[in-house]
Amino acid sequence: MSIATAIPATIPAAVTGHPPVDPSALRDKVAIRNLEFFYGQSKALKGITLPLYENKVTAFIGPSGCGKSTLLRVLNRMYDLYPNQHAEGQVQFDGINIVEPGLDLNLLRARIGMVFQKPTPFPMSIYENIAFGIRLYEKLSKRDLDQRVEQSLRRAALWDEVKDKLNANGLSLSGGQQQRLCIARTVAVRPEVILFDEPCSALDPISTAKIEELIFELKEDYTIVIVTHNMQQAARVSDYTAFMYLGELVEFGPTDKIFTSPTDRRTQDYITGRFG
Amino acid sequence: MDLAIYNSRRRRNVVATAASYGATGVGLAGLAMILIVLFWEGFSGLSLAVFTEMTPPPGSAGGLLNAIVGSILMTVIAIAIGMPIGMLAGTYLAEYGRHDKVSSVVRFINDILLSAPSIVVGLFIYEVMVVPMGHFSGIAGAVALSVIVIPVVVRTTEDMLMLVPNTLREAAASIGLPRSLMIRHIAYRAARSGIITGILLAVARISGETAPLLFTALNNQFYSHNLNAPMSSLPVVIFQFALSPYEDWQKLAWTGALIITISVLVLSILARALTGTRKAS
Repeated sequence: MSIATAIPATIPAAVTGHPPVDPSALRDKVAIRNLEFFYGQSKALKGITLPLYENKVTAFIGPSGCGKSTLLRVLNRMYDLYPNQHAEGQVQFDGINIVEPGLDLNLLRARIGMVFQKPTPFPMSIYENIAFGIRLYEKLSKRDLDQRVEQSLRRAALWDEVKDKLNANGLSLSGGQQQRLCIARTVAVRPEVILFDEPCSALDPISTAKIEELIFELKEDYTIVIVTHNMQQAARVSDYTAFMYLGELVEFGPTDKIFTSPTDRRTQDYITGRFG
Repeated sequence: MDLAIYNSRRRRNVVATAASYGATGVGLAGLAMILIVLFWEGFSGLSLAVFTEMTPPPGSAGGLLNAIVGSILMTVIAIAIGMPIGMLAGTYLAEYGRHDKVSSVVRFINDILLSAPSIVVGLFIYEVMVVPMGHFSGIAGAVALSVIVIPVVVRTTEDMLMLVPNTLREAAASIGLPRSLMIRHIAYRAARSGIITGILLAVARISGETAPLLFTALNNQFYSHNLNAPMSSLPVVIFQFALSPYEDWQKLAWTGALIITISVLVLSILARALTGTRKAS
């Protein structure tokens, strides 16, 4: 070991009272380059280039129809469920371009999970909702499986509310609980990236606060992308923000910078509520 | 504000509501009358002998055992053939081939089959099975009934799967669930009560079919569970006995009609209860 590497590159937290800040520590978990997306003939995404940093929350904001949900759905190839939709360009994830044909989509989606706008529990018990996904990729003993289910439900801050009724139907929960069940289900598969598609737009403010808190905690272990219509939400939960407009990426940067001193006029107009 | 507009809308509302009630009343009255006459005429004929003895020659005592056994056998086999084919085809239409050109063709043909007169089905099976075999048979009857079952099950399976929201399919895909597992564990589960209802609808439909059996299973006045021989069935016996001039035969025909009606009723109630409790739990 050379002397140079032995010296810490940043000042230890104990000295400054702040966690070490080292921009070079940002690692691209996903790198989107020149991505174009088509619904039939019409182009919905135009040359998007954007990094998604590991263990950070990136928010996609923009007015309706700007392509933010489309971009999110490219990341786990959800668009493949429908005909006449295709993407061109590059989305590098762990050394592979995920928009290339021939990729095993099930394996991809096990690594890049998604939580939807409307809560979508499966028509089965709370326990099964979680265990179902785990069993797809792992063979666990009953005890280990129970443990994983509990762990996942705890991770989604739902365990205390459902531990006595794990056999009840997932659909019997309230909307906010259902959404947390869906987060638990996603977490249970142990993905690396979690995509949130307007996860709070169908929820009341208290449930929304819980989900936001959860997202904040989850970024320790996962790379998170969230699409939201709610700019306050983007400001609260995200580290980085991408502002999109008419299928283009207008501006991308640290969230506080986007919200306090955006460089593009359109970003400024949008975040100050002049349109959108 | 122009009260005249509001008042004329109210008048039209009263007329339309009255018409709706009237139409419902006429429909229900017809149904009630059928059931009342059926119970009135059929109930007195119900006895143990109906379930233990064979169809009699005119003027002597007897029952409907051979017809009941034949009907049950042929219905069960028809469902056993028609249900898997119908469910698989319906699943293809709703899940795999939803946007295919082939699907719209299949859907169109299925709709034609759904409304095809059942006597045509009977003639078709007569040509392809009875003629080559050289004789009428229970299996030909069952196949003819299955041809009626298939389009009903295809249609209800497809319709019920179409009602499963796409968000659920996306949610399943989002945890890396292959499509086949999604269909088996999620779509079928969500559509279960509807699909079961469709199958029961098919049972109800074929348990009263006479025309396709006339050309295929014909009839048999003796007890037989040999599928390679002519087989008796309740609808054909009812058809034959009801048209006869003998009063005791006519009586048996009423009883047979009552038995079919009650079985279908019990089956529907059972299905409702079963799917209902599953949903609640």
